[in-house]
Amino acid sequence: MSIEVQYRNRAKELLSNGEVKLVVGYTGGTTPERRRPVFISSAEQVDRLVLDDLCIANLSGYLVTESLLSDEKSVAVFLRPEGIRSINILAAENQLNPDQIVIFGFEPAGNTIKALDGTNALEFSEFVVSLSENPSVSDSDPVIEKLEKMSAQERFSFWQDEFSKCIKCYACRQACPMCYCRRCIVDCNQPQWINTSPHTLGNFEWNIIRAFHLAGRCVECGNCDRACPVNIPLRLINRRMAVEARESFDHFAGLSMTQEPVLASFKKDDSETFIL
Amino acid sequence: MPKILSADKLDNCIERWKSSGNTVIGPVRKSNISAYRPVEKASEFELDIVLPDLSIKELFFPQTEPILKYAIRKQAIDTTEFLPPSGKRIVFGARPCDASGVAIDDPLFGWDYRDEYWFQRRNETVIVSIACVKADDFCMCTSLNLAPDSTMGSDILLRPINGGKGWLVEEITDRGRDAFASIADLLQESTESPVPPAAVPEKFNLEACVEWLKNPENFESRFWKEISVRCIGCASCTYLCPTCHCFDIQDEGDTYSGIRRKNWDSCSFALFTMHTSGHNPRSTQSARWRQRIMHKFNYFPGKFSLNKCSGCGRCSRQCPVDMGITETLQEISKLLP
Ligand code: SF4
Ligand code: SF4
Ligand code: SF4
Ligand code: SF4
Ligand code: SF4
Repeated sequence: MSIEVQYRNRAKELLSNGEVKLVVGYTGGTTPERRRPVFISSAEQVDRLVLDDLCIANLSGYLVTESLLSDEKSVAVFLRPEGIRSINILAAENQLNPDQIVIFGFEPAGNTIKALDGTNALEFSEFVVSLSENPSVSDSDPVIEKLEKMSAQERFSFWQDEFSKCIKCYACRQACPMCYCRRCIVDCNQPQWINTSPHTLGNFEWNIIRAFHLAGRCVECGNCDRACPVNIPLRLINRRMAVEARESFDHFAGLSMTQEPVLASFKKDDSETFIL
Repeated sequence: MPKILSADKLDNCIERWKSSGNTVIGPVRKSNISAYRPVEKASEFELDIVLPDLSIKELFFPQTEPILKYAIRKQAIDTTEFLPPSGKRIVFGARPCDASGVAIDDPLFGWDYRDEYWFQRRNETVIVSIACVKADDFCMCTSLNLAPDSTMGSDILLRPINGGKGWLVEEITDRGRDAFASIADLLQESTESPVPPAAVPEKFNLEACVEWLKNPENFESRFWKEISVRCIGCASCTYLCPTCHCFDIQDEGDTYSGIRRKNWDSCSFALFTMHTSGHNPRSTQSARWRQRIMHKFNYFPGKFSLNKCSGCGRCSRQCPVDMGITETLQEISKLLP
């Protein structure tokens, strides 16, 4: 039985016996290569669910939609490994109760996908630990190597070119499961902390602030990078931040539901190389 | 006899236009994004694309623009206005949906207040469009009563001739005629026939959708929630749209001096309608998506007799969750008897 059929059946079962009120999954999109999020709330609709290697988006952000979980009912969601890590972070940051989330896990396997065992975030604990022990393949991304070899000045002008394209559409933020703040710092306007203008300075402020707010919290799901309509390679920033969090603080974002946020916790032996 | 502009004369045209004080602008790919940018020579153009990623809008309505400088003194406030920048421009290789997008916004910017920032640029810019010979799955100009070779908003319309050798010239406005008079000797007479415009299938019945939108009973329809439940509320669709015109005024500086700017804004954002009290009349994403559709196909046409959409498809092409105007209007079509 294909994993798609297997998960459709499970969705049908959970919806008919009332164990979940909603299934957040994927369905076909405008073109054959596109998949889009879909919200299934009755057993009759489960055939709309599609699951294959084109299902890439991290859907966990929808779980923190205002008041979705406030009735204490459960919601099922299709998640890749990064999505499962985001559930851990959202739970650690008290944004959701993980007991309300039923996970339909899957991971890429060559050109296809395979199902992951488990339904509750806790059951994925060992799996997530194993992820943290296998450094991601993109460690050897050629663009990253090129960037690392640049002088600070060259790197600055690389990012200047990139950020000058930003139109402040905030698609990166809206697509990011970790950007759940009801009022983002750029939307706080009494006073206005961050320039809202999409000029190069304002764009630097925005992108750097967002990078800092995501440091040690980003699971590198790529939602932001794919959402950016002007193709700013946000994944490079995310990668750099993840490497930094790991090397300086031995921190792997979303390792567990009790993990402390790296920039908001203090250990006596924390590296202090950046303090003058 | 019809005139053609041959592709190998394009550099001479650019030179000629520049020497008479024009900035020449056209689709250029830089840092992995295509947009209308100034060029020095023809080889910088990227013309063999469906359409640029960013619309033509920013040439007339930049994403951020200083309008005023202020300094607060003890007894008075000094202000200096920034005038709209002046300078003749020729936009070469605009897409018909971008040119019409600009024309759609003309009545808006000239309505109760005449926006000189817009009109100064409009008056000093010649738009030379190239009819589309290829389209993608998202193009939908034909559903908006426009076409891959519509002339709305264009000063000149060029129709590609076989083999990419050049374009057949169609003069639309006096402004276009003047710009092409200066290169008249570079044009050739020809009997070649143009490549037929791209076939863009009609995606929905606009008139019927508009009737549905106008019916006040449908304002509170469940449809709005269902269609927009996956919308994440970014501004990708509005900022890429050639016709979305909303802006915000921001003062940047310290307590005593600063610069007042006009920045793009979007009805997709919750903050767009947030009142000082904290009340938000469009408190849900579905109310915001409804506004976008209603504004484009009900309110704006009601006021200016124009649809606020040229069918470029960018809103659907780039939406992070594969939504867009097309899907919504197609779904509305399904609700109709
Ligand atoms: S910053 Fe980007 S890659 Fe990281 S969690 Fe957010 S959306 Fe995913
Ligand atoms: S998605 Fe891209 S263009 Fe939009 S705000 Fe983020 S970085 Fe800027
Ligand atoms: S429709 Fe798409 S592009 Fe527009 S606001 Fe919603 S998610 Fe963003
Ligand atoms: S609404 Fe969409 S299709 Fe219409 S002009 Fe705007 S971006 Fe293009
Ligand atoms: S659709 Fe929204 S952003 Fe676009 S012009 Fe209308 S109100 Fe403004």
